[in-house]
Amino acid sequence: MLKSWKLKEIVLMSLFGVVFGIVYLVAIHFGNIWAGLIGPIAYEWMFGIWFIVSILSMAIIRKPGAAVLPESIAAIIEVMLGNAVGPRLILSGVIQGLGAEAAFAATRYRHFNLAVMMLAGAGAAVFSFVYGYFVSGYAALDPSFVLLMFTLRMLSGAIIAGIGGKYLADGLLATGALRGYAISRPKQGGAGA
Amino acid sequence: MSRLLHDMNPSVKFIIVTVSMLTLAFFFNPWTPLLFWLGILALQVTMSRINWKLWALMMLPFTLGAVGYLWTTLVFGADTGGEVIGSFAGIQVTDEQWAHAWSLTFRVMAFSTLSLLFAFTTNPVTFVMSLMQQLKISPKIAYGTMVGYQFLPVLKDELTQIRQAQRLRGVGQDRHWWHRIAGTRRLLIPMLAGAVRKAERTAFAMEARGFTGERREEFYRPVKVSGLDYVLAGVFLVVLAASCAGGLVLGN
Repeated sequence: MLKSWKLKEIVLMSLFGVVFGIVYLVAIHFGNIWAGLIGPIAYEWMFGIWFIVSILSMAIIRKPGAAVLPESIAAIIEVMLGNAVGPRLILSGVIQGLGAEAAFAATRYRHFNLAVMMLAGAGAAVFSFVYGYFVSGYAALDPSFVLLMFTLRMLSGAIIAGIGGKYLADGLLATGALRGYAISRPKQGGAGA
Repeated sequence: MSRLLHDMNPSVKFIIVTVSMLTLAFFFNPWTPLLFWLGILALQVTMSRINWKLWALMMLPFTLGAVGYLWTTLVFGADTGGEVIGSFAGIQVTDEQWAHAWSLTFRVMAFSTLSLLFAFTTNPVTFVMSLMQQLKISPKIAYGTMVGYQFLPVLKDELTQIRQAQRLRGVGQDRHWWHRIAGTRRLLIPMLAGAVRKAERTAFAMEARGFTGERREEFYRPVKVSGLDYVLAGVFLVVLAASCAGGLVLGN
């Protein structure tokens, strides 16, 4: 799969991972203060922040794997930086990335419009929630409370990651920095939004 | 004896930590995670040299999170039946909910301690090299990841610069948190554009120096798996098995 990847695309995903790693560090400050007071639900509304890197990279690079790879690389970098969540981040990174990837794969990597990106954000939310349900033991919680957490995470994935990712990709395209990536190439017959 | 965990092969450590976490996820009695947590702490105390002050500081947010889990599970716990053992402010707590709540709380503590054990005893560069050599991750990804890691201080400086430049021009005086969230775009776009340019330049420089990204058999700095790694992996698995068994015995 990696044969068709240029080195600059991989390094790009890695640097995006770092940028979002810094953003994430800022975001976690909001989360930690609340987590003690209102419990695990504190993180739900901002879960989409974790998924943005997948969606942004896919919007730019448009190749199979462009959602799952950056999320995994970002997770490895987080672990290298000594993130206290530790090695399990890598597993959750891969799983979230697969969720986003599933949405793009379902549309056969042909459409990169807002609807597909929101779907990808929601897909990442579903995958990560199933994993979290198992690892964090949500089975011990009341089903309606779990449903509330799930809805919050889906909305966060679709809005923060989907709309946010699209918004950032468009903004970045306007700067002209993305010449030489698939996003700048003229639309071929039937492809694109 | 005291630095054994630091010398352990990072990939082996990574697999053991992941296996332990996935195993713990099957247990809902309070004893298994508690015993495992104490076991991991004992391993860390005897087999590593770390800065315990920093460790305590990093544990603090997780401890807060664990408290959040405790009361969330007590208040919003699933209806599991069992005897009501107490009530507070109109919320009745059954013995099963009580056990589940403590189980999830200790699970958070055990997970965080295990994560910190990994973070405090693993050299990040050796970790990625080991992922490439033992777990066969593509060199393109391994070295691409290293580039990102090396650029972190540069990108941090850049964030400060962009912020300062924007403040000089009078933007970025956000009064409310929702302004600040909407304003992150103003910071992110220049950061990401800078990242794109750096990525292109770095990749070009790497290829100009002969980096092809092909897999290879020999490495400049080999990371090996030794007998010690098997012994340490065995020790971890014994702790894990003992806490699972102990939890089942004490839980009934």
